Amino acid sequence: MNPLRAAILRGARATPRPGAATRGTRAGDGFVFSQLRGYVEGDDPRRIDHAATARVGALQTRVYLEETSLVLAAIVDESGSMSVGRKRPLAAAASEAVRAWFGALEGEDQAARIVDERVVRDRRAAPLVRATAAFRFGPALAIALRALPRGASLLAIADGFDLPDDESLARAALRFDATVLLARDPWRDDLPLRGIVRLRDAENGRTRRVFVGSQTRARYRIAARAREAMLRARFRDAGWRVGVLDEGDGRVSLLHAFGLPA
Amino acid sequence: MSFAHPLWLLAGILVATVFLWAAHRASKRAAAAALAYSNLAFFASATRQRIDPALLIAIACAGGIVALGGALAGPRFVANVPVRGGAVVLCVDTSGSMRATDVDPTRAAAAAAAVRAFVDGVPDGTRLAIIAFAGGAGVVQPLSDDKDAVREAIGRIPPPNGGTAIGDALAAAARLLPPSGRRAIVLITDGVNNLGIDPSQIAPQIGASGIEIDTVGIGTNDSGQLVPGTDQAASIDEDALRQIASSAHGVYARANDAGTLRAHLAALANSTTTEKKRIDASLPLAVAGGVVLVLALGGGMLAGRFP
Repeated sequence: MNPLRAAILRGARATPRPGAATRGTRAGDGFVFSQLRGYVEGDDPRRIDHAATARVGALQTRVYLEETSLVLAAIVDESGSMSVGRKRPLAAAASEAVRAWFGALEGEDQAARIVDERVVRDRRAAPLVRATAAFRFGPALAIALRALPRGASLLAIADGFDLPDDESLARAALRFDATVLLARDPWRDDLPLRGIVRLRDAENGRTRRVFVGSQTRARYRIAARAREAMLRARFRDAGWRVGVLDEGDGRVSLLHAFGLPA
Repeated sequence: MSFAHPLWLLAGILVATVFLWAAHRASKRAAAAALAYSNLAFFASATRQRIDPALLIAIACAGGIVALGGALAGPRFVANVPVRGGAVVLCVDTSGSMRATDVDPTRAAAAAAAVRAFVDGVPDGTRLAIIAFAGGAGVVQPLSDDKDAVREAIGRIPPPNGGTAIGDALAAAARLLPPSGRRAIVLITDGVNNLGIDPSQIAPQIGASGIEIDTVGIGTNDSGQLVPGTDQAASIDEDALRQIASSAHGVYARANDAGTLRAHLAALANSTTTEKKRIDASLPLAVAGGVVLVLALGGGMLAGRFP
């Protein structure tokens, strides 16, 4: 089995925290209805749907997703701020992570990509679809909470400049096996700039001239690290699995988030 | 302030305006090459930068250009400047009426304290002398630029006694002063001239020789107090003191208490040792403007990508 899928499955089956609401996908119950089909010899008679049989006039069997089935959902920040990077855009690493995420789909697994405030359930389209409207994390998470079944595995990739409130994060963590990949500031460790530099805000296009000296670099390093630590703590406290999306390799970042080797 | 050639200043302002406009245009053209960054608000708060450094440099350059234009315009202004080698004689009344206590603790003690404040206030290098006068005038301290010696001499001012010979004191003071330079006499008295030379006659002569006489009336009129040891009411002839001052280009001030007296003397310490001078600010302005311009342009180029 794909090691990432196995790790996601373990996470989806994990017992929620004491006192919290259950996710409903514990081993042995919480099967998710998939479809009705005609009865074939060998089907468990307990799964015959009598109402459907009466409507159709032939025996109908309820088919459930196997308990090893997964619902893999993803919310990906595709805003302008993800287009920055030292050697390549963070968005490229995000695409790799999303491909790896949906690459873990097998058998009866379902895919769900929340993009442009709608849910794309097509397994082939989900990793490839691109947003056309501005990304907003809060509304996207609200859609996930409404549209996805309990116990779904949710991956969110964001740089943290636009986050939902703590309550929404906590609700998502109770309902889903939630993982976030926080896009690491490409210049977190060192600003490769000197002197007067003009910067353009990737989100709104505004420009600004700044002076970058040694003091500026030191201040920036401290602030960028503090911001990352703050974001990690916020998601962790809300009950999310937290990883860091490194510009270099999105797939490896995702594996690291699940404690897997590259 | 006035300008010899004000058109140069206008030209400087015009050039600075054109410079700022050109810098703004160049800056807008450079905006296309800006480095994409995820969130400028975070950068600004992280690095605590609120001012656009390039704008600061452009403003400094414009300021330098205006200063250079201003220097060519020949700015001139009149200012009080300290006089080197000025000479001041303090004439202190020591007549019997200075024993009156309407000024705390006595007029004489308040006058001595005020003279000390005067000595402290004059700039170094000013020559000072002290003359004490009652029935006659005596030099307590000849002209000296040694402030410590003058302070010491204050202690040698004789105790109050006798009549008031203001004219004699003014004549003695005029003799002490050098024939040229900034010269002033500060007369501190409480009374009416009743002995010696008529001050209203000698004061204009002294004034005509370029010496300023400033007068300070000490004491209160109609206080009902008597001069101790006499049946004479403590009073002050303000009209006479005002006339002495006006006839010799000076000012008259009245002090009812020790604090006011000290304040008047401290003010006189400044005014009698300074003179109004017409100053040409072209050179300093040109140097300042040039330095600002060079530093701003050099700094901007060293910092890179200016404008």
